[in-house]
This record gives sequence, structure tokens and C-alpha cells, in this order.
Amino acid sequence: MVAPRYRSRSFRKVSVRTPGGKTTIHYTRRNHTPATCAVTGEKLHGVPRNTPYKLKKLSKTQRRPERPYGGVLSSKAMRALLKAKVRQK
Amino acid sequence: MFDIGRICMKIAGRDAGKYCVIVEVLDSNMVLIDGQTRRRKCNIKHLEPLDKSVKISKAASHSQAVKALTDAGFESKEKTSKRKEKTERKKKQKKVKASEKTEESAEKEKKKVKKETKKEEKKTSI
Repeated sequence: MVAPRYRSRSFRKVSVRTPGGKTTIHYTRRNHTPATCAVTGEKLHGVPRNTPYKLKKLSKTQRRPERPYGGVLSSKAMRALLKAKVRQK
Repeated sequence: MFDIGRICMKIAGRDAGKYCVIVEVLDSNMVLIDGQTRRRKCNIKHLEPLDKSVKISKAASHSQAVKALTDAGFESKEKTSKRKEKTERKKKQKKVKASEKTEESAEKEKKKVKKETKKEEKKTSI
């Protein structure tokens, strides 16, 4: 029988083949929802989808695009923002 | 609009938000830019032109472009990374700690010497 904490839909079942040849079921947390743009709400490119614990293990450059507002705004929204800033002046 | 000497802001890629000067016009779509950004070929779709332009010769060097920009009031800021500050702070703390340690160890040695001398005195008295 599975441990009580794993009898929940918030865990994902992953079948893993062990070194002994058996296939066992491992229980892992589900991936979080993908990052979205703060203005347009679209899914962000270049931002991996995973649990925060695994994202923390990545390098900073692998976590978000290397540009201003990277990982917060989509490139479209960022361009619009910069254009507006320039035109205000 | 996109002629030599025009000041633009780059609005795409890792240099986005930085100011640059057009140094050379390559064709109807591409220009060569320099200044706060790296010197590179660039699509005019990735540039937002300002209403200011500077006098600059065709294919001017990087230093000339930077100078023209600074004269026009677009000074390139030197980045002070937080990481560097942190490491420097840590180094300082380490130095302070090390000096404290040496003082402590010196005191300990003094105590040791005192103990030993006392022991010796006892032995001699017996």
C-alpha cells in the first residue's frame, strides 16, 4: 500500500525501471503552471516549466531571457514599453 | 529617418533599452550601430529612433560613437554588479575574522605558557 501522503492527486506517478529490472512507481510533485506575461498574459518563451526547487538548481541565464524585463514581460510587451518610454521624451 | 548619426534606442535582444548611434546604412533594412550597445549589424525593426541626431563620419570607430553619444547627453553607465559588491564585502569580513582569530590564538598561547610555567613551578617545589 502506498504511504498515505502519496494517496493524493497532487502527486504525479512516474514509472521507473530500477537497476534490478523491476518497474516501480515513484511519486513526484506536479509541474507548476507556465510563467505568463504580466501585461498580455501569454505564456513566456525561454522560461522553463518546473517546480521552484528544480528551477532554483538551474543557472540564472537558463531561468529567464537575458534582456530587460526578461521572465516578466513578453518581448512584444517589453518593446511596446520601451517605445512608449522613448516617445515620452 | 534611419540615417548616419541618428540616435536610437535598441528595443530587442540583450541590449534592449540601451542607446546607440547609426554608424553606417547597409541596405533598406539593415544598419550598423555602435555606442552603449555592442557594435553590430541591426535590423531597423529592432530600433526606435529618437528626434536627436549627432554629426558623425561614416563607419566611425567605437570610441568616436561613444564620445558623440556622451556629448549628446547619453552617458554610458558603468554597471556595478551586486555580485561583485557581495564578494568584496565577504573578503573584508574574512580579513576581520582572520585578524580576530590571530588575537584569540595569541591569548590562548599566553594562557598555555602560564599553565606550563605553573606546572613546572609545582614540580620544582615538590
